[in-house]
Formats: sequence, structure tokens, C-alpha cells
Amino acid sequence: MAADRAVVPWDSAEPLSGPIGVPLVDLLDRVLATGVVVSGDLVIAIADVPLVRVSLHALLSSVSERVPAPWADGGPL
Amino acid sequence: MGRDLVALVLTVVELLRQLMERQAIRRVEQGDLSDEQVEEIGTTLMLLDQRMKELCDQHGVRPEDLNLDLGPLGTLLPRD
Repeated sequence: MAADRAVVPWDSAEPLSGPIGVPLVDLLDRVLATGVVVSGDLVIAIADVPLVRVSLHALLSSVSERVPAPWADGGPL
Repeated sequence: MGRDLVALVLTVVELLRQLMERQAIRRVEQGDLSDEQVEEIGTTLMLLDQRMKELCDQHGVRPEDLNLDLGPLGTLLPRD
């Protein structure tokens, strides 16, 4: 039964051919509309000497009833 | 060399401007904004667009210079 299913050429040898049709800014817009959480640790170092540590737990999302703005007006910024 | 730096900065600003423009459109479509807010958002975005064009002319940067080609990923901004 599974034999008649054609294997989708996902692992084709050559890389993705041709640019993906969507401009990156539209992808970012959709990501924001869905909402994304970025969490992680960054260390900025020079010559293997760690200087600055950045610890991220960021929610990036459009404001909607699902993700309300923390304060009513535009806020301080 | 200075012009490339200006082009890069203007590219980032243009990216954020277009992103905010799309987010504003989504928010307006939600319909929970008053007419006055919608009008203000529209005016602000229009002024921002004009200011962006002035900056590009001022530094001799063509609009298509702002668009980066990301190879297999396509382009950064739409090729309008």
C-alpha cells in the first residue's frame, strides 16, 4: 500500500533552487503575527576573552486580544 | 565608504518601517481602533515614508540599493 506513494524529492543533492518567492520582511511580519519567543544566552568576547553577557527571554508578537499590550497607551517609549 | 554605511543604516530603517507598516495594517484590520487612531497611524506612516525618501535623495541612495539580495532566501524587501 505504501509502495505506490512517490517519494517527495526532499533530500535532492543540489541546494534549494531559485529564491523563495516571499520577501524576508513579509516572513518577519507573519512571524510577529503568530508570535515568537526568543530565549538564549549571548557572550560578546574579544580574542576569546568574554566581555559582555546577554541573556535573552524575549516575546516578539503583534498586539492582539490574545497578546494584550502591558499598558493601555503607547507607554514611555 | 561612508555611502555604503549610510545605505546599510537606511536599509535597516526601511526594513523596520515596512515591518511596522504591515503590523499597523494588521492592527487596523482587527477593527478595535478608533477612527482618530487609525487616521493618526496613517498620517504618521505617510510622513515617515516621505522622510525616508528625503533621506535617500539626500544621501544619493537609490530605493533599490536598500533591497538586499539574500541568495536562496530571496530578497530582503519586495521588489516593487
